Amino acid sequence: MCRAAATALQIASIAVLGIVAGALASLAAIGFVELVALLNDWLLVSPRSRFMAGDPNWLIVATICVPAAGGLIVGVLHRYMPDRRPHGPPDIIRAAHLHDGRMPARAGFLSALTSLVSLGSGASVGQYGPLAHLGATLGSLAARFNRNSRWMGTAGVGCGAAAAIATAFNAPIAGIVFAHEVILRHYSLRAFAPITVAATIGYVVANIVFERPPLFRVEAVSVKAAPEFLGFVLIGAGGAFVAVLYMRAILYAGRAARALPLADWSKPMLAGAALGVAAIWLPDILGIGKETLRFAVIDDAFAPEELAALLIAKIAATALCIGFGFAGGVFSPALLIGILFGALAGAGAETLLGDLRSDIAIYAICGMVAVTSAVIGAPLTAILIVFELTRNYDLATAAMVSVVFSNLISYRIFGRSLFDVQLRAGGFDLAAGRDRAILDLRPIDGYLSRDYTALTPETPPAEAKSRLVEDRRHEGYVVDADGRYLGTVKLDELVAWEDGENAASGATVAQLAKPEALIFTAGMSIWAAMEGMGDFVGESIPVLEDRDNGRMLGVVFEASIVKAWLDTMDDTRREENAGA
Amino acid sequence: MPLSPIRFIACSRTVLAAVLWLAGAGPGAAADRTLTIATWGGAYEHSQKKAYFEPFTARTGIRIRTARYNGGLAELRRQRRSGDVSWDVIDMTKADNRAACKQGLLEPIDHSLLLPGIDGTPADRDFVDGALTECGVSHIVYATVIAYNRNAFPGVRPSRIQDLFDIRRFPGKRALQKIPDANLEWALRSYGVPRQEIYQLLSTERGLRLAFRKLDAIRDHTIWWTAVEQPVELLVSGKAVIASQYNGRLFDAAAVKGHPIEIVWDAQVSELSALAIPKGTPRLRDALRFIRFATGTRPLADQAKYIAYGPARRSSMKLVSRHAGTGVDMRPHLPTDPSNFRTAILKDTEWYASLYDRIAERFRVWLAGH
Repeated sequence: MCRAAATALQIASIAVLGIVAGALASLAAIGFVELVALLNDWLLVSPRSRFMAGDPNWLIVATICVPAAGGLIVGVLHRYMPDRRPHGPPDIIRAAHLHDGRMPARAGFLSALTSLVSLGSGASVGQYGPLAHLGATLGSLAARFNRNSRWMGTAGVGCGAAAAIATAFNAPIAGIVFAHEVILRHYSLRAFAPITVAATIGYVVANIVFERPPLFRVEAVSVKAAPEFLGFVLIGAGGAFVAVLYMRAILYAGRAARALPLADWSKPMLAGAALGVAAIWLPDILGIGKETLRFAVIDDAFAPEELAALLIAKIAATALCIGFGFAGGVFSPALLIGILFGALAGAGAETLLGDLRSDIAIYAICGMVAVTSAVIGAPLTAILIVFELTRNYDLATAAMVSVVFSNLISYRIFGRSLFDVQLRAGGFDLAAGRDRAILDLRPIDGYLSRDYTALTPETPPAEAKSRLVEDRRHEGYVVDADGRYLGTVKLDELVAWEDGENAASGATVAQLAKPEALIFTAGMSIWAAMEGMGDFVGESIPVLEDRDNGRMLGVVFEASIVKAWLDTMDDTRREENAGA
Repeated sequence: MPLSPIRFIACSRTVLAAVLWLAGAGPGAAADRTLTIATWGGAYEHSQKKAYFEPFTARTGIRIRTARYNGGLAELRRQRRSGDVSWDVIDMTKADNRAACKQGLLEPIDHSLLLPGIDGTPADRDFVDGALTECGVSHIVYATVIAYNRNAFPGVRPSRIQDLFDIRRFPGKRALQKIPDANLEWALRSYGVPRQEIYQLLSTERGLRLAFRKLDAIRDHTIWWTAVEQPVELLVSGKAVIASQYNGRLFDAAAVKGHPIEIVWDAQVSELSALAIPKGTPRLRDALRFIRFATGTRPLADQAKYIAYGPARRSSMKLVSRHAGTGVDMRPHLPTDPSNFRTAILKDTEWYASLYDRIAERFRVWLAGH
């Protein structure tokens, strides 16, 4: 009876988490998107408002000043962030794997605000990263109401991210897969259940309550000729190189910005002004570029050279904006870059195939998913977004081919995704496997023992020997009055010394002690400890606060490290295989 | 259970109130009650007389007088300013209705007063999308379409809007109205722009450029018409092979007069016409009552017996029958017939309200030749 009640409670809390996190994330996503659109209209960023603007001189002034002013606001606001940078999808991934899904609310909301200002003022950044991050933050908050189980936080983060993506793309299945493929990196029923609830709520809110239009519409198109599939493979391969170029450009711009001898708060402003100047000739690079995205699937909307110019300009603009500190995602620009690349490939195919070529929309969309899936490391999500947006089987099949080849290639030459490469730079390497990445970041401190024999430096060897015999230990640690570790004495050495000719002199253990070959410091990861222990033979390993001050905190036993490894493996396995 | 006296009084009061509401100001008042309805005259007014006015008078005793209205807000504004509001109901385009409502010239209408469909569907789901606005209840859907002379195309006939711009496959003069309306929509649609995105993309420099580029393809083959009688004349005389026109007039030319004219329904640009109440009318209650009656399932369906405009209610569409004069089955001739309506571009009145001047100026410059 009691067990049944507990089960019922468990299921109820899963459902409630899904509903609350889903509704919050979805409403926040809609509000965010609407506000961005409103700001874009007011600030002469959107093509419509630019068209309506009367005075062309005034338009030029606004084009330069608006992104620059936005950059200034963003730069100043980021001074209030705990780590002086906007948070995004990599922070969701970290939170889900390392902090049981706890996300800092302040950093979350401040990042949302700066992303809103960035997008609103026309910076060339994406909106889906901020949406997913805001959703995950809200999901994490929603999960705090149930503190009973650790996994609730992780599920909450997944729920929020899934609902945000489901809302933004009108694509609930893609939302569910995104949360698993990009954030959680495993599929367990216990996480799947609330995430599905949340994504469905997101879809209902977006489609039925608010009747949001889809990102873009595609006419009923189909693949005309079988050889075109070879073309989609090539688009995948080309898309991989475009994606890698894009990601490298972002990372390079980040390094360049850090090397620049200017105050950090002024850098986004600089990028904004530069973007504005370029936008006088190429207004399509401003903002999310929703309209440009729609034109790209229309035959004849762009000349091939125009597509190529925009492609390069958009990569440069996005790298500049993100590298120099605007807040925002990398996904929306990747959509545009990809679709421009695909349309360009389609123009190329037309010269080869002529009228036999399928609709340009198919090529454009293959390019779009080839680039985006490689950037965010989410092949399944990308395919599903296409399928759910267009409900077109031919299109989804063609997209699938491009996505697979793009991901294979970009994985080899760059990494799984921009997020993973950024996380690796911060010491969290998911490429070696989830368990290894967690072991890499979990410190040994929790397995520290104070159960050791400490000897003062003045202790005579005979006394040390009897202490060790009494404590039934083989090793004693010589620690001075300040707690500094001086070395280790071993029982067999003490016995050998006593038997030798020096026994009568007034020696102390300080003279006998030798520093251990293997010494750990606080904060060291379990993975590093395990690697260090490869050749270790002995009882325990001393742990110092740090090597400079030499203060001894305690010891770890070999068995504790093995236990730490087992604990971690057990945690991840339990999480990955959990039922409801 | 016998009613207690208090309950009885309360109850009969409710009934009395209901009766009074239905009967207007009370018994005997109906005899001298007349509503003035401003509408468009001609065959259109005739269809309203048959479908709305006569049944309404028969049911309520309230007489209907019509006043001639030719669009615009001038007369409405004059009446409002002078305080002498003589129109009680006005039949106007949705675009004018929106503008008049914004300027406070119309009474707001509570849509919960509207009758549910004859099949029980609540009014807000029975009316077509966009039909119910703050100050108006749309009752009919009319469309601007292209039509061609059958004799001009003995082989393959035009069937899609792309064909309007395809001089190679469908040679001959086009007759298009000398305004941007519908022409720009068709131009952009012919690239395959989804119909829901046409206005959004027409609001951009690139979209407009694209539309004009498409129109460039036929500019040397186009006769620009200004008077509404011209297109049918041009088609019949053979001076043009394809022309744009309102669907009602084309029905009249083809089905009633027997000209060899065929409508291409693809990408019809459909608009709504709405009933509204001028602010300040002393007969507000009767006016509301009229709108409630006229926009019911049956009257809207009946109107299509006299004119080829589509009822703005889904439940009415199912009841549409034959043309009163010729006996032609009306359904395939209405813009709202499902197979005609599938690819309709719904005219965005808000877009026209905010961008029209600028677009019209661009159109004029384009006409003058770059």
